[in-house]
Amino acid sequence: MTLTYAFFPGCTLESAAEELMISTKKVAEALGIELIELNGWTCCGASHIQDIDNFLSTSINARNIALAESLGVSKLLTVCNTCTLMLRTAKLKMDKNERLKEQVNVGLDRAGLQYKGTVEVTHLLWALLEDYGLENLKKKVTVPLKGLKVANFYGCHIVMPPDVMGFENHRNPQSMEMVAEALGAECVEFDQRLACCGFHAVFPAQKEVMTMTGINCLSPKEAGADCIVTPCPLCQMQLDAYQPDAQKRFDQDITMPIIHLPQLIGLALGISPEELAINRHVVDAIPALQRKLQLA
Amino acid sequence: MEMMTVKIKRFDGRNSYYQKYEVPYEKGKTILWLLTTIREEQDPTLNFTSACRHAICGSCAVQINGNAFLACNTPLDDVLDTYKTMNLTFEPLKNFEVIKDLVIVWEPKMEKMTKVKPWIIPGEEGSKEIGFLQSEEDFQQIAAPTDCILCGVCASECNQLAVNQDGYLEPFILNKAYRYIVDTRDGAPEQHLKPVLENDLWKCLHCMQCVSQCPKTIPLTDQIAFLRSATMAMGELDNQGAKHAYAFHDDVKNKGRLNETMLPIKTDGLVQTALTKIPFALRMVKKGKINPLHMPKQISGIQEVRKLYEYAEEVKS
Repeated sequence: MTLTYAFFPGCTLESAAEELMISTKKVAEALGIELIELNGWTCCGASHIQDIDNFLSTSINARNIALAESLGVSKLLTVCNTCTLMLRTAKLKMDKNERLKEQVNVGLDRAGLQYKGTVEVTHLLWALLEDYGLENLKKKVTVPLKGLKVANFYGCHIVMPPDVMGFENHRNPQSMEMVAEALGAECVEFDQRLACCGFHAVFPAQKEVMTMTGINCLSPKEAGADCIVTPCPLCQMQLDAYQPDAQKRFDQDITMPIIHLPQLIGLALGISPEELAINRHVVDAIPALQRKLQLA
Repeated sequence: MEMMTVKIKRFDGRNSYYQKYEVPYEKGKTILWLLTTIREEQDPTLNFTSACRHAICGSCAVQINGNAFLACNTPLDDVLDTYKTMNLTFEPLKNFEVIKDLVIVWEPKMEKMTKVKPWIIPGEEGSKEIGFLQSEEDFQQIAAPTDCILCGVCASECNQLAVNQDGYLEPFILNKAYRYIVDTRDGAPEQHLKPVLENDLWKCLHCMQCVSQCPKTIPLTDQIAFLRSATMAMGELDNQGAKHAYAFHDDVKNKGRLNETMLPIKTDGLVQTALTKIPFALRMVKKGKINPLHMPKQISGIQEVRKLYEYAEEVKS
């Protein structure tokens, strides 16, 4: 069985989170998942463009989805929470409101495209559970992550708002735990599991967001986690790349390695940390992983 | 008989502690039933507020297992099912001062709300004689925001308030400001909007907690986007939030994708970026996360994307 998805990488995968592009492709290949990158995708607006022009925000994402529809696939897959939210928000608005859909299509027509509403927007985490199946994933595990204590940091936009996301109960999601446990890892309970990383306001609310980053690192650290794993590159960037800035606001050592979900999966599939580009993180995650795992 | 273990955070004015109650489970009850049952049958000293029991007065909101709920309209079975447990921990709403047990103080919040002038500032179109008439369509603009019952759930869950109680406005205050800004009978929307901008409007984290937990499903985050748009329409563009949003808006128009290297400079300006972001930039370059020489190429189809921008302008006008 080969699963085929249209693939929407999102801007961070081309630059600051290139390691997520690398690890996603490696893992997809190892699992036999075909990802067809959309030709000519644009930024999803990253939760900012709607502040300037709501209709434009819907239109650019309608174009992204229309590009996927023209590929004849049933699902468009992302690996970023916010991209998922922005694409799904545009889709829900148009599917609920025929007048809006027609209006957006007038603009898309000028761009030679049509939004039909035939493609579903999903995230790799959901696709693994819904389409690939945990049993199939378990069969691919060659290096069970036994003894590795992971802190699952969901990020807001994979669960909220529930009328847009709706994959699981936003107050107590379990998808990350299900995947991590299928890989053999141990999930730690910690207060900040469903906390906000603050990334979207890191410029105007720098001081507040750095405090949040420190709390988000300390909470799993105190719970005994070896690393945080997240399904969102923006959470990863906030918690990892800004961690040295957050440290300045705290007396305690907040050091906490932060890895992407596909990197955790890749380790269990026997792919080396270098091939998964785990060496690209600001807070070196490899020593913590090496202490617990026989890495490839 | 199946029992529930209910831990309630008590506060006697000086000390706080958790008290445990064992309560027989009953099907089809509400959270408020659970609190009332404990008070009536086990502990008359337990303090919480409630009145209407119909999600109108907004007085019975509490935190349960980490989330805020309106006790009277929340089925107990839903909560037990959400957390897959028979153990519930009750706490007072977060981001409020606590008087006793689950009872919080509202006065400072109401005082804070006056900043946005939560009343109609009459326009010139109406008068005592002819009244202040509104079309059905105009009325619909304020239908959702006036559903707010001031229960405090949104404020309890707000992640910005959690770290910035003095500076930031509670989502229910932003809702109140919005309600008067869009009210066609109001003649001075800028008087409600200015204080919103001055009280850290751009610090909303876009975490979606308020809109996800509101028991009245008020579209609070759409309102925040509207308020930001309105400040920009008022000419308030020289701030980090507006510049940051425009960096995304303009990059998509020019190239189709975000230029991450230029984002800090577009948001903060060259001088401020040089002063504050150099250590960050260096560590990003060192790990290969930013290549300062890499400039995103134009995507295929950029001309078509620009047509969407042109069309969005037409729709606006």
